[in-house]
Amino acid sequence: MKQQTVVIKSNKYGITLFLDKDISFRELLGDVAEKFKASSAFFKDAKMALAFEGRYLSREEQIQVIQTIQSNSSVEILCVLEQDALKEEYMKKALEERKNASSSEDGRFYKGTLRSGQVLESETSIIVLGDVNPGATVVSKGNVVVLGSLKGTIHAGAAGNEHAFVAALNMNPMQIRIADSIARSADGPLAAKGNGTGPMIAYTEDGNIYMEPITKEVINDIRVD
Amino acid sequence: MSEVIVITSGKGGVGKTTTTANVGTGLAKLNQKVVLIDTDIGLRNLDVVMGLENRIVYNLVDVVEGNCRIKQALIKDKRYPNLYLLPSAQTRDKTAVTPEQMIKLIDELKEEFDYILLDCPAGIEQGFKNAIAAADRALIVTTPEVSAIRDADRIIGLLEANEIKRTDLIVNRIRMDMVESGNMMSMDDVVEILAIDMIGAVPDDENIVISTNQGEPCVGDDSLAGRAFMNICRRIMGEEVPFLDLKIKGGFFGKLKRLFR
Repeated sequence: MKQQTVVIKSNKYGITLFLDKDISFRELLGDVAEKFKASSAFFKDAKMALAFEGRYLSREEQIQVIQTIQSNSSVEILCVLEQDALKEEYMKKALEERKNASSSEDGRFYKGTLRSGQVLESETSIIVLGDVNPGATVVSKGNVVVLGSLKGTIHAGAAGNEHAFVAALNMNPMQIRIADSIARSADGPLAAKGNGTGPMIAYTEDGNIYMEPITKEVINDIRVD
Repeated sequence: MSEVIVITSGKGGVGKTTTTANVGTGLAKLNQKVVLIDTDIGLRNLDVVMGLENRIVYNLVDVVEGNCRIKQALIKDKRYPNLYLLPSAQTRDKTAVTPEQMIKLIDELKEEFDYILLDCPAGIEQGFKNAIAAADRALIVTTPEVSAIRDADRIIGLLEANEIKRTDLIVNRIRMDMVESGNMMSMDDVVEILAIDMIGAVPDDENIVISTNQGEPCVGDDSLAGRAFMNICRRIMGEEVPFLDLKIKGGFFGKLKRLFR
């Protein structure tokens, strides 16, 4: 029996073609054509992404393979996934999940004033010893605490943690984002902003962001797991 | 048909951003569909002057890099529903965008807007090149000072070399009392040096400072500067409007309009 030179396997995004690396490219094209002719009833007019494995294909060769597939079946190839890109994505996801688990509990400190144009990104919760000025941004997968005046933009729970919170000694943020929710400051003269508000905390509930003075009751409702 | 106008000056601090905000708002007041693009990447200001800073989620660089669609980055003005702002990025620099990308972006916006105003950064480097790449016409802002005029002259030369068909002059921060006492160049002097048409003169008005700090452009209100900007908008649309009398009379702003030519 002839050895299989072309194997089709499905993946999350579409199909992966396992190609024999020892036969000539012309032969391979013929086999691809045969394979897809045989399975065209199965695929019908599916739209999918394509990935190659087992053999290095140049750009021209990839295009030829795609043309062969499309002329022998009604499959529509939307894009070609680089082998590495695919792997990278899987790895990234796995990594992200692991990190998410600990991002709220762990924390780090940053000392200094964050000025316009500066972005502070953190995989964990972060405590800023200083002010966050308008135009500056803090992005954290966990919570953000500002021991100073918060006048810039904060994104807490950036990886999707809705239990993340933002606290500041003086709360006048331009924008607060927690997970996928966004709240912006009230409109008004710039000069009127920046007056002392006292310590406040912002959190989400049902997709809305609330800002309140820090009291025992509010602290009791905050989760840090 | 849409028109792409770049507001530029060469020198910093002469009022490009204030002019962009006021002219844009004025055109929107005249029922035109307008988008303002802040091309000053890394030192954005237009959103602050427009009072829209707190609404920024995506910016010019995000659009160009394909992180979002144009529609997602456009911020609708809080006063006029036919006025939009495309803010600049604060965390990047001018090299994040190329002139080709600007042309492509503006071609897309042309389909929807009557006027596309580009707020140009100071200087003549990459940011300036990005801003003028897709422009049909230019508004040159200058103040009646030799340094600003020298830079404006250089800019006019560069615009001519880049085949911008039409350039008009805005003389900003005129103080008629100083002109009369001979301590400041008059509009006529400036026009004579630069040899391009003047589309408007804006007086040095404290209302500009107030309106800028409040994030509310003053165009169209009763202040002298507000009226001067409104007239500029009318002239941009092709209307013949006589120039304002910028003299301050007895502590009140003169209400008489008359030709000063």
